[in-house]
Amino acid sequence: MADTASSTAAPVPSPLVRAAARNWSALFLILLFVAFGFAAPNFLSIQNIQSVVHLQTVPFLLAASETFVIITGGIDLSIGFVMGLCSVSAAEIVQLLAAKGLSGGTAVALASIAVLLLSLLPGLVNGVVITRFKVPPFIATLGMWGMANGLALKLCDGFPVAGLPDFLPRLGNGYLFYALPGNFVSLFDKPAGFPDARIRELWRLIPFSLPFIVAVLGFLAFRLSRTPFGRHTYAIGGSMDAAVRSGIDVDRHLVKVYVLSSFLAGVGGVFNVFQTGIGNYTTFNASYEFFAIAAVVIGGASLSGGKGRIFGSAVGVLVLAFLENGLDISGVQPFYRYIAVGVLLVVAVVIDKLFPDLL
Amino acid sequence: MNDKEKVPRKSTLRGFLGGRWVAIFLVLEIVFFMFKSQGFATVNSAQILLFYGTQVFLLAVAELFVVVTGGIDLSVGYILGFASIISIKIVDALVAAGLSVPASILAGTVATLVIGLVPGLVNGWLVAWLRVPPFIATFSMLGVCHGVSELVINGVYAMGMPQLAADIGNGNLLYKAPHLPFIFFRRPEVERGTPVLALIPNIVVAAAIVILIFAFVLRRTRFGRHLYAIGGSMDAAVRAGIPVRRRILQVYALSSFLASLAGVTYAFMYVSGKADAGASLLLDAIAAVMIGGASMFGGTGTVGRTMIGALVLAVLDLGLRMAGIATFDKYILVGAILVLAVIAARYLPEAQHPVSEDRK
Amino acid sequence: MKKSPVFLAILMIALVALPGFSQAKIKVLFMPGVTDPFYFTMEKGIRAAAAKAGVDLTVAEYPKAWGPEYQIPILQAAVARQKPDLLLIAPTSTDALKAPLKAIYDGGTEIITVDTFLGDGDYSKPSDYSFPLSYIGSDNELGGKQMAEHLAKLVGETGKVFCEATNPDTSSVQGRVKGFTAGVAEYPNMTLVGVEWCLDVQQKAQEQTLAALQKNKDIVGIFGTNVFSAQGAYQAVVNAGLTGAVKICSWDATKDLIGALKKGQVDLVLAQKPGEMGSLAVDWGVKYLKDKKNVKVPKKVIPGFEFFTRDNVDDPSMQQFIYQ
Repeated sequence: MADTASSTAAPVPSPLVRAAARNWSALFLILLFVAFGFAAPNFLSIQNIQSVVHLQTVPFLLAASETFVIITGGIDLSIGFVMGLCSVSAAEIVQLLAAKGLSGGTAVALASIAVLLLSLLPGLVNGVVITRFKVPPFIATLGMWGMANGLALKLCDGFPVAGLPDFLPRLGNGYLFYALPGNFVSLFDKPAGFPDARIRELWRLIPFSLPFIVAVLGFLAFRLSRTPFGRHTYAIGGSMDAAVRSGIDVDRHLVKVYVLSSFLAGVGGVFNVFQTGIGNYTTFNASYEFFAIAAVVIGGASLSGGKGRIFGSAVGVLVLAFLENGLDISGVQPFYRYIAVGVLLVVAVVIDKLFPDLL
Repeated sequence: MNDKEKVPRKSTLRGFLGGRWVAIFLVLEIVFFMFKSQGFATVNSAQILLFYGTQVFLLAVAELFVVVTGGIDLSVGYILGFASIISIKIVDALVAAGLSVPASILAGTVATLVIGLVPGLVNGWLVAWLRVPPFIATFSMLGVCHGVSELVINGVYAMGMPQLAADIGNGNLLYKAPHLPFIFFRRPEVERGTPVLALIPNIVVAAAIVILIFAFVLRRTRFGRHLYAIGGSMDAAVRAGIPVRRRILQVYALSSFLASLAGVTYAFMYVSGKADAGASLLLDAIAAVMIGGASMFGGTGTVGRTMIGALVLAVLDLGLRMAGIATFDKYILVGAILVLAVIAARYLPEAQHPVSEDRK
Repeated sequence: MKKSPVFLAILMIALVALPGFSQAKIKVLFMPGVTDPFYFTMEKGIRAAAAKAGVDLTVAEYPKAWGPEYQIPILQAAVARQKPDLLLIAPTSTDALKAPLKAIYDGGTEIITVDTFLGDGDYSKPSDYSFPLSYIGSDNELGGKQMAEHLAKLVGETGKVFCEATNPDTSSVQGRVKGFTAGVAEYPNMTLVGVEWCLDVQQKAQEQTLAALQKNKDIVGIFGTNVFSAQGAYQAVVNAGLTGAVKICSWDATKDLIGALKKGQVDLVLAQKPGEMGSLAVDWGVKYLKDKKNVKVPKKVIPGFEFFTRDNVDDPSMQQFIYQ
């Protein structure tokens, strides 16, 4: 549907306005913090903020994966179910290996590697179907959506996969420092023999997941902004014809992008097992992909491609997460977040239309 | 060739040829399952198939209308859920207010259908006036409906439809007991164990009537032709004087209407309403439209062929169930079939409509 | 319309395929609620009893999610394939299953509901759901109340507690929540801060419990009304680093929960007797079918339940109650 050129020539906005529009989601995040900080006393506590960020590890990964795809002008609807599939597979493999007598640590390591390799497949299929068979990304990934879910359900029977080694959730939910204010600081775990009754007094600082996700996102952001891989991604999104003419092997690149997308979903799936201690299939109304895509768009990407940043998507994830958390703690119905997301998305698109050449 | 002449003709002639492979596939499927399990090819099974497929059939038609204009509607699943919830709430409120049960049910249904137009109107406005891509607009609406639904029910399912609604929802048009004449709507009082033939569930009748009307509208009215034209080329449609914005608004409203109707049928059938009642049905609805040969870019597709596509899926569902194969595995198949159908459609003599290569 | 030729074809085939044959052996169909060790154990009880009674047993496909829209189509397909003389079913909704089950009943099948019931579970009074032979299941309300009492003892009878439940339209869960609420109310120093419904999805239970723990920093006890909610709840407690500070009591003695009990992640587990429910259902049903005139089936049969704590979890006499 070609946009007929608007007759209203937009007046050139000042640099300040442009900067504000570009980072409107970050500004909105700050606003959220201020608002909820007043509305609910527990909101601004270190524990709460860390907890929220920690729980967003998987959404961060999914949003990052979606960022690459959306920049190329495509979409990947399958990441939620691919993540669930990988979570379930990883858990099943660990169970299998443990039953064969392998130690917990080895089993987990092997299972993780196996699943990470396997997670390349859905992306490969998506990529080939989209480039070779010219199926629109929407349909191709919708098909994978169904297939991944069906496979996951087949593997686990609709029942989360349990019976995994204990150290998994300890590792997945561990913190770097455990401190009793004014008393001591211990590394990696609470001190042995610490009385249960006093657990709430303990302060936990810096979850393991934080350095992990910062490293991953940092690496991806670097890849996107400073390497040929990233430049090609933007080029394809900007104009596929121009990309072809400048010599980029578009098909090959797109396949790589979709493989990266499902790989990141796979990383999410493996991490999910660490975080929850069980293999989780994705339920139909979990809407992981909904929130990932929303986060990316709110973060400044455009669905027609060519725009988007990892940082923006990360901010998008945080906006959605703290919105829900804040509402929850203030006692407001958490369901408003769905409505809020809908509204924010539309705002994002409108801003995108008003400032079409912001990058 | 004259653009205006081409549109309906093409959908019938070349569409018929291109869509043949689906009809053949359907027949093969039925034959396969007939052999796989006894009891598959019976009146009873056919009715189970149509009855439990009602929501998908309605959603598929909703999706078709939108797809014909080159758009997509991702919110139909959650509009269904929303409608299933408010229909129960409204009917209950009316009964509590003293209105008679039949009147409450009727009024509640009408009210739900009217309220159910709102999501579609918002979608249409976003797409037509604010130029929001259909994907985002309906994606947002998906979330909004989800949120509003959950708000209304506050985490607990909507329950408490009056008995009459359950009877209508699970009742049939005709009953025939041995030695008794055909009776309409009411099950004859006979000895337990006497085989009573129950023909055509009420819900299926209602859905069939609605679908036939929509098929007529798409095929034979100016409104329908406009939709095809818009899907074919928005610029050409504008130049031809078609009120494009109004049509887009109307088409999303219609889609929303059908989704609400599907939600109402759900409430009648299962006497409960929940927010995610239709979440898993979106895939089936879109798959049905694609299998039926419509193009993602718009301009092609008919209700009839979409119904065949929907039947392919419904037969798959029932066949697997009766053969004792785990039906949740069908998602794997549906996903695969969807992609294969789209690929196949490219290689078959399909409508070579001059569409813009704009993918969304 | 494109549908009609297909329909006509089916109609014609139907006229040939319609009549079924009756056989000497009694045909029993078991329709479980969801994929869940509770129902696996029940199935074992049913199989053993069926073998002893010499009846033909079919087990329908286990729905992968809890809900009438999953269970009813499976049920209809199974009944269409072969009409059973006796149907043992755990209805996944108190309301939605009334109509389909009535239709099956009118077709001549006897029905016993296991674990959950239709309507309010009282089949002795004539109503639109009094057609089943019997309801065989735990007294969920009593269990909920006793659960509250046990939990109170564990937390020293003071503090805030939270309930993570599953489906509001399931009779068993309704009973447990009701009993638990009444039980907590008897302790003046304890408050029930909330009841959440995870709709039988473990992840949702985890999310809801986490949110509750963040909102109320001083929750000391949580009751998970079934396998999924209990497991989700204890995941959340682990996630929040509060193992040991929050006592968890759960319903249904799956191997995972018993394992968690031994490791100290969960503090109390209630074991129902699904195997017994299953075999009782078969026994009563068959007895009735063999002699309809003289056999009176009680409208309610309530097997008891057992509590597992860290003290008795290794008792050899308790092992039989773990769901296998």
